[in-house]
Amino acid sequence: MSTETVTPPARPAPPPSTPTPPAPGQGRPAAAFLLPFAILYLAFIAGPAVYGLIMSFFDASLVRPGLGSFAGFGNYAEALQDPDFWSSLWHTLWFTILTTPPLIVLAFVFALLADRVGRGRWFFRLAFFAPFILPSAVIALIWIFMYTPELGLIEAGLNTVGLSSPAWLGDPAWAMPSLAITTIWWTLGFNFILYLAGLQEIPRELYEASAIDGAGPWQQIRRITIPMLGRTTTLVAVLQVIASLKVFDQMYLITNGGPDFATRSVLQYVYDQGFTNFRLGYAAAISMLFFLVVLAVSAVWFSIVRRQEKEV
Amino acid sequence: MASSILAPPDADTARTDRGVTQAKIDQRHRLFNRICFGVLIAFALLWLVPLAWAVDTALKPNAETTRASWLIDDPTFAAFGRVLSDMPILNWFGASLITSTLTAVGTVITASLAAFALSRMRFRYRNVVFWAILAGIMIPGQVLIVPQFREMDALGLLNTYWAVSLPQIPTAVAIFIFKQFFDGLPRDLEEAARIDGAGWFRIYRRVVMPLARPAVAAVAIFTFVTSWNELLWPLLVLTNPDLMTMPVGLATVQGAFGIRYADTMASAVLGAIPLVAVFLLFQRHIVEGIAGTGLKG
Amino acid sequence: MDVPSTRRTGLSRRGVLRGLAAAVGAGALAGCSSDVLSGLTTSRETAGSLDYWNLFGGGDGTRMQQMLDTYRRDHPEVALSATTLAWGNPYYTKLSLATVGDKPPDVAIAHLTRMKNMVEAGLLQELDPAALARHGLGTDQFTPRTWEAGLVDGRAYSIPLDTHPFVMFYNTDVCEKAGLLGDDGNLTPLDSPEAFTDAMRRAKQVTGAYGGVVASISETSTPWRMFQSLYSQLGGQVIADQGREVVLDDAKATEVLTFLRSLTADGLFPATADYQGSIAQFAEGQAGFYFQGEWEISTFQTAKMPFSMTLFPHLYREGPYAVQADSHTFVLPRHPDDSPERLDRALEFVASMLNQSKTWAEGGHVPSYRPFLETPEFRDLKPQSNYAAAAEAAAYDAEGWYSGSGSSFEIVTGSSIGAVITGQSTPAAALARMRSALSDLARTPSPI
Repeated sequence: MSTETVTPPARPAPPPSTPTPPAPGQGRPAAAFLLPFAILYLAFIAGPAVYGLIMSFFDASLVRPGLGSFAGFGNYAEALQDPDFWSSLWHTLWFTILTTPPLIVLAFVFALLADRVGRGRWFFRLAFFAPFILPSAVIALIWIFMYTPELGLIEAGLNTVGLSSPAWLGDPAWAMPSLAITTIWWTLGFNFILYLAGLQEIPRELYEASAIDGAGPWQQIRRITIPMLGRTTTLVAVLQVIASLKVFDQMYLITNGGPDFATRSVLQYVYDQGFTNFRLGYAAAISMLFFLVVLAVSAVWFSIVRRQEKEV
Repeated sequence: MASSILAPPDADTARTDRGVTQAKIDQRHRLFNRICFGVLIAFALLWLVPLAWAVDTALKPNAETTRASWLIDDPTFAAFGRVLSDMPILNWFGASLITSTLTAVGTVITASLAAFALSRMRFRYRNVVFWAILAGIMIPGQVLIVPQFREMDALGLLNTYWAVSLPQIPTAVAIFIFKQFFDGLPRDLEEAARIDGAGWFRIYRRVVMPLARPAVAAVAIFTFVTSWNELLWPLLVLTNPDLMTMPVGLATVQGAFGIRYADTMASAVLGAIPLVAVFLLFQRHIVEGIAGTGLKG
Repeated sequence: MDVPSTRRTGLSRRGVLRGLAAAVGAGALAGCSSDVLSGLTTSRETAGSLDYWNLFGGGDGTRMQQMLDTYRRDHPEVALSATTLAWGNPYYTKLSLATVGDKPPDVAIAHLTRMKNMVEAGLLQELDPAALARHGLGTDQFTPRTWEAGLVDGRAYSIPLDTHPFVMFYNTDVCEKAGLLGDDGNLTPLDSPEAFTDAMRRAKQVTGAYGGVVASISETSTPWRMFQSLYSQLGGQVIADQGREVVLDDAKATEVLTFLRSLTADGLFPATADYQGSIAQFAEGQAGFYFQGEWEISTFQTAKMPFSMTLFPHLYREGPYAVQADSHTFVLPRHPDDSPERLDRALEFVASMLNQSKTWAEGGHVPSYRPFLETPEFRDLKPQSNYAAAAEAAAYDAEGWYSGSGSSFEIVTGSSIGAVITGQSTPAAALARMRSALSDLARTPSPI
C-alpha cells in the first residue's frame, strides 16, 4: 500500500512529542479526515447496534419512554418458541429458495447471450436493467394490477392460450411464487450487469484459440465461460442470498404478508411486532437473531471465497 | 478447475482437412449467435411487457381498463392530471430529491475523506479502523431499525429529512470504492503539490478529488438511486403525507380514486419517470458502480 | 474499477442534459408546496390548517370525498388536507408512528375496537365534554351503544360515526320463488338453526347451486364475523380481562362450528369461496343468501340485481339478539399543539361530517348520529333501515392489546373457523388450535 510517507520538506517538522517510531505523525490529520465518517458511523450504526442489543433484553415499548422492565433472555426464549417467528423465517428462506436459482441462471444465460451477440447491448441492458432501478412501490402498483383476477394481464394472457389462472395473490400456496416472479423480473438486471462485466474480463483470445482448435459454442461455454465466471457466480449467489434474506418491500407492498400470513418475512415480522404491536424489545431480539442468520451466511461466503482464492 | 480452461477440444476433431472443418465451425458459431439473438430479443421484449402495459393502461380512460387489451380507443392524459391534482406527488418528488441528494453528497464527502486517510496516511490503529469499517458491512441496516427509530425520536428528528438521510450516509462500500480508486492513482502529482507546500486537505481537494471524478460519479449516482428507492426506513420515520418520499407516498397514500386502474398506473408511471430519467442520463455510471462494487466485492 | 476516458463531445451533450435535468428538478421543487422544505427543520406551521386521515376506499371513499367537498365549501378559511391510507394494520401503525413522532393528523378515523388500545397507549386526546357540547356533539346526540362502547374508564376519546354490522343479503327473486317472503315482500324471520337450514335448502332448490354463501378462504375476518355473531347469541365470550384470559366456551363454540360446517357439508353453502368469489356467486344468482358487512351494498346496487338486506338472523333464542359489528369513530391524536383553536377546528370538522350522515348512510352504514338516525328520512332509506337495530345489539370484538378489527386476534380465530367451514379441520381440532394461539397472545405481557 502507501509507501510515500516522506514528509514534505516545506512543512515544518512535526514536534517530536511522539517518540514511537511506527506512527510518523500522521495520526492527527488522519483523525480529522476520518472524523466525519466516524461520527456518523458511531451515531447511526455502532451506537444503535449496541442500543438494540441492550433493548433486546428489556420489554421496551414503542409507546412508553425508556427501556421498560428487564426481561433477561425472555425475549429470546419467546422468539425461539414463537411459531410465527419460525414461520416468518421459513417464508424468508422459501422466498430465497424460489428466487435465487432463477436469478442466477437467467441472469447468466441472458448475459452470456448478450455477450455473444454483441449487437444491441444497450437495448438488452435497458430491458433487463430498467426494472431494477425503479422503486419497489412502483413495481408493486404495476404487478398488483398484473395479477388482478379477471382484469389482469397475466390471467388474460393465460386465458388466450387456453390455460386457467390460479388466484395468484389470493391463494396462500401461490402468493409466494407470485412474489418470486415479480422479484425475478425486478432484480434480474443487477445480476445481469455483474455477469456482463465478468464476461468482459474473459480474454477474447481464449475463445479465438478454442475456435481454431475446433470448439463449438457449447464447448466454449462449458469449458471457458462457466469456469472463468466461477468467482462472479459466487459473488452473485452470495449477494443474492443476502438480499433475499432481507426481503421486506415486496411482501409489505403486494400482499402485506398475507394471505393468512403466508408471505410474512422476518423483517416484516420485526416491523409488525415492533411498530404495529409496539413491542420494541421483542422486535429488537428478533432483529438480533436475524442478524446471526445473515452473519452465518456471510461466514459461509468468506470460507468459499477463501477456498476459491487458494485454488485459482 | 483453472487448468481445464485451455484443455484442447474433443480429440476426434479432424486436423487433416482443417480448412473445411473451420468453415463448418464458423458456420456453427454464426448460427448459434443468430439463435442467441432471437432468444434474447424475445426475453427482452417479455421483460418490457409490464412497463409497457403500465404506460398503456395509464393512457386509457378508466372505463377501458376493465378490458385486457393493448388497443386504446380513446387515448388520454386525463389520468395523469387526476393523479397530480389528487395526490401530493410533486411534494414526494421534492422530498425524494432532497433526501437522496443529502445522502449522496454526505456519502461522497465522508467516504472520500475517510478513504483518503486510509489510502494515503500512516497512523496507528489503521488496521483496526479498517476492520471496524469492514465489520460495518456485515450489519444489514434493516436490523437496526428499532434502535434507530428510538434514537431519531429522542433527537426530535422524526418527520425530517435528516432522519431519512443521516443513517444512510455511513456506508462501508463507498469507502472501499474510493479507497480502491485512490490506491490506483499515480502519486507524482501529489508529490509535486506537497513540494509546493500543500497540506493534506489541499492535496485531497485540489489534486486527488479532481482525478477521482469517475469514482465520485459512481458513488454519488449509485447512492442517490439506492436512497431514492429505500422504503422501510423512510416508511418508519416519515408519517406526514406532505413530507413523504416518492416510494413511501405511493405505498401509503391511496388516491381518492379507489380501484381506477388508469389512475393507479398513471401514479406508477409518474413515480418511475424520475428514475428512468436518471437511468438514461447516467446509465454508464450506474452500471460501472454495480460492476465495480461487485467485481471487487 | 477502470477509469474511462472522458469523451469531450459526450461530456458536453451530457452537460446540457444535466443542466436541463437540474432545471426541471428546481422547477418541480419550486412548484410543490413549501411544506416540502419544512422537512429540513423540525417545526411546522399549522395555523389555519386541518389534517385528516381516513382509511376509506371504494364506495366509502367516494362518499367521504363528497362530504369533504361540502366541508371545504362551507369552510373556505380552513386548509383541509385529507389523506386516505391503506386500511388494516398498516393504517394503525402509521397513525401510531405519526403520533409518537409528534406529527399526527388533527383528526383521524379509527375503528372503535382499535381505538381503545390507542387510548391505553396514550396516543389519543381525551375529549372534554364541555367542548363536545359546544359543537353539538354531546352524549345525547349518539346512539347509546356506540357511545358507551367507546368510553374508556368513563371518559370519551372518540366520536362515533356509524356502526357497520354483519348482515344478511338476500336475493329477492330467489326468495320469492322459494316461498320465503312474507306478504309485505320482506323475508320471513329465520328464528332457529333449523329454520335457517330449511330456508337455505329451499333457496338451493331455486338456484340449483347453493342456498347461501360466505367467504371462507383467503379471508379471516369474514369467518370470524359469522362465528362471533352466532356465538354471541349463545352468550359466549372468547377472551376476557383485557385479553389476559382465554375464556372460550367449548360447548357453545362447538355448537356454532358444527352448525357452520353442516351448511357446507350438506352442500347448502360452497365449501370454498374467497371474498371476491362469494360476491360473484351471490351477484350471479348461484346463491340466494350472502353474509357480509353491510358495506357491500354498493357492489350489488351497481350490479343492478334484485336484492335486499336485513339483520343477521337471530338463530339462538336462549339469549338476546347479538351480531358482530364495529364502528368507525373520529379520534383526535395527541398533538403537540393543544391550543383551543385547533381543538375547535377539529371538532367543527367532525360536526360537519356527522351532519352529512345521510350521505354516509347511503353506503350502507348505520349512522350513530341521532339527529339523522331518528328522522323519517332515514326510516325511509331502504334497505339500510331494515338492519339499523343491529347497532344496539352490536357484539364488538373483546378488548385486548392484540384484538380489534383486522387484528392478530381476528386472523388467529378466523383462520381456524375458516378451516372448519371448508372441512379441512374438525371443530374440536380448530378449537384446540384457536385456544393455543390465543393463549400465546394472552400470556404475552401487554406492550401498551
